[in-house]
Amino acid sequence: MSTPVLPLLGRGLAAGGVAGLAAGLFSLLLAEPLMDRAIRLEEARSAAEDHSHGAAATAVQHHEELFSRSTQHFGLVVTAVVAGLALGVLFALAYALVHRRTGLGERPWPRALAFGAAAFVAVSLLPGLRYPANPPGVGDSGTVANRQSLWLAAVVIGVLGMVLAWQVYVRLADRSVPVRHVAVAVTAVATLAVLFALPGNPDEVPVAATLLWDFRMLSLASHAVLWAVFAGVFGALGLRAEARTAPAAAPVAA
Amino acid sequence: MSLHTAQHTDTAAVESATTTTRDWLIMAAAAIIAVIALYAVFMDNGTVVSATGDYLHEFSHDGRHLFGAPCH
Repeated sequence: MSTPVLPLLGRGLAAGGVAGLAAGLFSLLLAEPLMDRAIRLEEARSAAEDHSHGAAATAVQHHEELFSRSTQHFGLVVTAVVAGLALGVLFALAYALVHRRTGLGERPWPRALAFGAAAFVAVSLLPGLRYPANPPGVGDSGTVANRQSLWLAAVVIGVLGMVLAWQVYVRLADRSVPVRHVAVAVTAVATLAVLFALPGNPDEVPVAATLLWDFRMLSLASHAVLWAVFAGVFGALGLRAEARTAPAAAPVAA
Repeated sequence: MSLHTAQHTDTAAVESATTTTRDWLIMAAAAIIAVIALYAVFMDNGTVVSATGDYLHEFSHDGRHLFGAPCH
């Protein structure tokens, strides 16, 4: 009997909205103070540069601000929610494609956790290790198109790497579990090696090491919050749907 | 829709088999919208959708930095 696909979409949207909001609020509380500090330092730096280069440099204002900082704080949460919803939809589609032959409603909790972990590694951890997040003040607008292509390539390679890991795991079905797990780990490391064959980020990073480290850790933590909450909600909604359909089959006899 | 299948098990079994193709198409359409949304918040710099100028970029500025998306 086939299980409908559409409820997965609803679960993906619901879990994505909650996860995006959680990651947005997490980073609003912890990462925004860092970003505000980075922006103040950037302004001080460009003011010093203008001073040394004379009036000509001052005429070319680096950026005129379209939005106040508090609007950009709000924008962070909105961005996180939109990203969560969109990733939730893509997650649901991928989940449905991978599990389409084995029953979409089966073992919702462990599957959601495993799939969430794979998604974190594919789109957050692997691309994040190759091109770590940089605080405001880092990033040359002249290289942004180049950096976007590299970042997209890294995400695509990360996803392909996880698909390959899954295929390796499936195809080694007659081997022992440790062999299969090691094969998956080797695939993940090989994917990371491929990522490091891509050209590096061309921009210089004129930021203090401690600020940079803290920002990158918080960036990775926000990604982790997003996927952990997502997997938890997606799995819990799957369990609820399972509990709701199971009694419906039984009462006919009673 | 899950309520519907739970209450009318017999008809739902037949129905869900026939509506699967339609459901997959809805999934695919949702995925396309999701990709456009991700493009808007993480990539748009006003070059493709010129009407947005720098507004989308600046509004999602902090989110881009935080999630590691390339920013100016």
